[in-house]
Amino acid sequence: MQPDINLETDLSVSGGTETSGAGRIQSDGKAMLSVRNLKKVYQTDGGHVEAVRNLTFDLRAGELACLVGPSGSGKTTLLKCISGLMAPTEGEVLLDGAKVTGPPKKMAVVFQEYGRSLFPWMRVRENVELPLKNQGMAKGERDQLVDEALEAVGLSHVPQSYPWQLSGGMQQRVAIARAVAYQPEVLLMDEPFAAVDAQTRADLEDLIRTVWKKLGVTVLFVTHDIDESVYLGERVIILSSSPTIVQEDLVIDLPAERDQLNTRALPRFTELRHHVYEQIQLAKTGHRPAAAAR
Amino acid sequence: MRIIKGILYALALPTLLVLLWWASTLGTKSFFVPTPGTLVATFAETWLGDRMRTDVMPSILRLFVGVSAAIIIGIVAGLLIGSVKWLRALTEPVLEFFRAVPPPVLVPVLMLLMGISDAMKVVVIISGCIWPVLLNTIEGVRAIDGVLSDSAHTYGISGWARVRYLVLPSAGPQILAGVRQCLSIGLILMVISEMFASSSGLGFTIVQFQRSFAVPEMWSGIVILGLIGVAMSFIFQFTERRILRWYHGLREVENAA
Repeated sequence: MQPDINLETDLSVSGGTETSGAGRIQSDGKAMLSVRNLKKVYQTDGGHVEAVRNLTFDLRAGELACLVGPSGSGKTTLLKCISGLMAPTEGEVLLDGAKVTGPPKKMAVVFQEYGRSLFPWMRVRENVELPLKNQGMAKGERDQLVDEALEAVGLSHVPQSYPWQLSGGMQQRVAIARAVAYQPEVLLMDEPFAAVDAQTRADLEDLIRTVWKKLGVTVLFVTHDIDESVYLGERVIILSSSPTIVQEDLVIDLPAERDQLNTRALPRFTELRHHVYEQIQLAKTGHRPAAAAR
Repeated sequence: MRIIKGILYALALPTLLVLLWWASTLGTKSFFVPTPGTLVATFAETWLGDRMRTDVMPSILRLFVGVSAAIIIGIVAGLLIGSVKWLRALTEPVLEFFRAVPPPVLVPVLMLLMGISDAMKVVVIISGCIWPVLLNTIEGVRAIDGVLSDSAHTYGISGWARVRYLVLPSAGPQILAGVRQCLSIGLILMVISEMFASSSGLGFTIVQFQRSFAVPEMWSGIVILGLIGVAMSFIFQFTERRILRWYHGLREVENAA
């Protein structure tokens, strides 16, 4: 549609990117989360399905990275492998240097399907409290964490409601509060706002930025929404189409203070958005980074 | 006000039916159909005396023990079989076989094996009541939502905590549907287990009345069985509403959407 602009953005963002088929690696050993040569092949009745071919990237402690990719690029598979819900076929995931073999204690996951990730038989407060109770945390400490978490997501007024009595956006807030109260070091989010309406979505995006800054937690945010990835992330990891590798690892050099109106109006935002969009389009047509063409 | 209205609704049809019955027995003198007045008098005189202690209470006690045991065994076994894949593959054909055997045919066999005892009667009740609870629990456990299960897993909820906070509540609606069937089967089997060879109990007494042409007494026995059924149903509904409040609320919200 706008070939001249695309050319321009291509030039302007080429400085901070990695296009070798792998993402950025922390060479100083300070990676909070490391994904190394991860491969996942499903055995199905119809034969093998290679969902993820070879993924390598690191997340620094306290980083907020977004993972975008065309649909069917194995985003959810990757997240399941990282969260220890699924074993990779090859490669490994390291959390703070330790290999992930099952769901690690330092990790929390927020799923897209808020209606199916909260316990419908428990009230909001009980839902947030359950993981802590299960750890055997003392009541006083538990109450404080739950109060703080509910306060942080703006739901202090509904602790006695059941999740299904709340709107979709509020339910997802409960799921976020549950993750926050759990005090994870890494927070994984699997397209958490894909099923909420646009206005709620903007609020929730800002909520994630706020929570992230306040807690200093490492966040890996999976999304298919290009705008969202650029607006939220300090970094965007673009996946190729299936079989999946890292198409590009892009630094988002937008100011740290972001807001829905001004940040999205910045020329730099538009440039980055164009660039990511273009890469996704390339990925869809099967273009792969030169170094990974093997 | 709502409670009064509810009671009026609940009593309206029974009252009408009794009135109809009364009107149709006016002026007739059928040996086999007593008038409401006769039946009430016979009921009081037959059941409110010694028989309450010697027949009614033992029957209810056996029913209670049998049904409770069936529910507990059914849920525990169902949780196990539903959670362990190989156990399910191993037991499924056998369960289908035993479920297909009508429990009344077991009564003579159990009599021979266990003697004519309370234990035999309780076993007959269990052998018929357990299946809906067991099979529904297995299905309920299998139908746990994948996302919910993943959520629990990522938060380290496993073992007994998983059963308590995830599996049991999630399978709750199906388990209770099984319990509802279990209760009505239990009442039937209670009577049948007492009809074959027994010296006490409601089933035994009603058969005695039939054989001695004590027609109003026999009818009064049938009435008491019906009343026990109604009481069980009320207790069940009350309990079910408390346990599954979340489920009914969720369904209402889903249906409204």
